[in-house]
Amino acid sequence: MAERTAEDAAGPDAVLRALADPNRRQILRLVRGSELPAGQIAAHFADLTQQAVSQHLRVLAGAGLLSERRAGTRRLYTLRPDPLDHVRAVLAEFWPDALTRLKDVVERDHPPTGDTP
Amino acid sequence: MTSPDPLIASIRIAAPPDVVFPYLIDPALLARWFGDATGSTPEPGGAFELAFDDTKSVQGQFVTIDPPKRMVFTWGVPDSNVLPPGSTTVEIVLTPDGTGTVLDLTHHDLPRSELPSHQAGWAGLLKELERVAGHD
Repeated sequence: MAERTAEDAAGPDAVLRALADPNRRQILRLVRGSELPAGQIAAHFADLTQQAVSQHLRVLAGAGLLSERRAGTRRLYTLRPDPLDHVRAVLAEFWPDALTRLKDVVERDHPPTGDTP
Repeated sequence: MTSPDPLIASIRIAAPPDVVFPYLIDPALLARWFGDATGSTPEPGGAFELAFDDTKSVQGQFVTIDPPKRMVFTWGVPDSNVLPPGSTTVEIVLTPDGTGTVLDLTHHDLPRSELPSHQAGWAGLLKELERVAGHD
């Protein structure tokens, strides 16, 4: 499980759970245009402990909705709006690479005879 | 198979379709460009399995094998919620081009937020997410 990336783990259920909580939806709104450290996010929630905010951040990141980056001792968060399109982006690079390998192998096994354009 | 927005990739290979086609189904030839396909049974309904290394693999089924023109197989990732085995379909069409082949690959049914989903409520949730994400 530790090796699994967000796009593997994030499914409808994970996203559903993540979005079900109004505080978590509020966190997404806060980080949709900018990258914020956890402390600054927590400052927006006077009625939540830092620990509770951290837990919300973990749920959102686990659903693939937040990306997390370390900068020194701080953790910075920003909205990752579409985990599904990420899968697509990976495959959009994967297929051309695979087909290029196919072409190379076939043409090495069956060298063109010279009249090939 | 009829996703309105499939992923497409094409390449020209300097060998005719009947030379290229076995490389798409024969496990020994697949291993040379794609991955370890020893778990595959290249016949309609047979298992399509590719292992890339210890941890990564894809699974599906051969759907159509029509040498040397066309093959279709399903594609997914074990234990993935986003891309479960069998959830997406890959179609490869070989077209003669002089003495070579043009290979057109189409990956259908990839999940995308804009597309309606089979899972109840998923589309609505993503609409909410899009609203939150600022696509007002």
